[in-house]
Amino acid sequence: MNRAIRFSMRLMLAVLASLAFVLASYAADNDVRVEINSEKAGPRQMEPLSERGIQRDYRAAWASIARALESNTLDPLNGPFVGSAEQWLKDTVLSQQRSGLSQRLSDQNHKVETVFYSPEGDVMELHDTAEYQLQIFDGGKAIHDEHVVVRYVVLMTPGADRWVVRELQAVPHF
Amino acid sequence: MWRSPISLVISLVCVALCPAQELRVPASVTAGDDASISTTGSGKATFYLLGPGASRKSDVNLGEEIRLPGKDVQHAGEYVAVLCSSTCDSATFYVSAAKPMTLAFVVHPSRVPVAENEAVSGVAFPFDQYDNLVLAPETISFQLASKNAPAISKATRTEDGVAWFRTASGKSAGPVQITASLGDITEKRALQQVASDPCNLRIKGERTAKGIVVETDPVHDCAGNVVPDGTIITFTASDATGKSTVDAPVKAGIAKAQIDASGPAVITVASGIVMGNELRIGGQQ
Repeated sequence: MNRAIRFSMRLMLAVLASLAFVLASYAADNDVRVEINSEKAGPRQMEPLSERGIQRDYRAAWASIARALESNTLDPLNGPFVGSAEQWLKDTVLSQQRSGLSQRLSDQNHKVETVFYSPEGDVMELHDTAEYQLQIFDGGKAIHDEHVVVRYVVLMTPGADRWVVRELQAVPHF
Repeated sequence: MWRSPISLVISLVCVALCPAQELRVPASVTAGDDASISTTGSGKATFYLLGPGASRKSDVNLGEEIRLPGKDVQHAGEYVAVLCSSTCDSATFYVSAAKPMTLAFVVHPSRVPVAENEAVSGVAFPFDQYDNLVLAPETISFQLASKNAPAISKATRTEDGVAWFRTASGKSAGPVQITASLGDITEKRALQQVASDPCNLRIKGERTAKGIVVETDPVHDCAGNVVPDGTIITFTASDATGKSTVDAPVKAGIAKAQIDASGPAVITVASGIVMGNELRIGGQQ
């Protein structure tokens, strides 16, 4: 009897943990808003369907960044990123694990402009004016809390099933 | 001690309101270069640095300079420096890419028919030794060189870290070497120009005991390049019994087919949308 109760309890905890993870992911995804404007994209014209794909995948990428930097885990970075973007994001997480720091990026708003779309459609450059609340924690203690506006130069390339972020570089101005 | 009552008031106000410590970050830092952050105040504090690829926490003495070794600022981007003692003070600074060290160069397509408008394109991105995209304008030279044509060169200034070109394919089939150069950095790519669609298809034929044997003259495109083996040529024979069609691949420049027809027949040839001459063969004796 006790065995059955213990099993039920474990099952319930596992379900609750999974539910919490799904809800956290859902909350992180919904905390990211991306507006994209591709009117100036060139030399290749951006098709509406491609634009929606970029918007979806770029939004997912930022939700992944927020999850990785807050939980200090690498898993969210597998998939949406390749190349140097993946490398520095993973370096950041590993470095945060060592220093005991973490970051929370909340209430994200991204105004994205496509500035380059290659003739063959195999690479695009975006300019993202991102606004979010940046909190930095040392252990559980907040040491920094600021509403920031950061400009990012982004290179995205098509992956197997989505657009992936290859370069993500903050700049003082475009 | 105080020069005037005003300076005394200012000092007292500052003691009350000014932060215990202050950070002065560098105006600009180049990726991989050593940098330093100056602090004001006295006593111990905790210094934090967060940026792309970096997360550092260390104890510092206020009033002393905090040294940032080049390895802490290898990734271009925004860094946040935070200094905490009784309160926390923060400042941000940007690290920019170092000088270009590599070129990412993509050329499309790998095979292209000759004499096609805007058929070849290339995109180049300069990166520094730490894989940061170099956003400062740089001049990249593109060159297309093939055996039977003069080289084509084009210099393009990068805009937002990218330079690109698009051009027509050449007139002769064969390999083309495409290079992108920036200072001492050169990246080479190769593409193959292949003959375009067949042009001026000509056939000849004769009746044999088994039917009609037809074959093309050597099949060229309009620029005189022999079309690649495997190009499909379609022969169509029309006689009293109806129409029959045979597809034959080009082999060593020529396509050949045998058509079963005992009576007089009219034979036509085509490849894609290109038609050739018409051939009339009499009936079997």
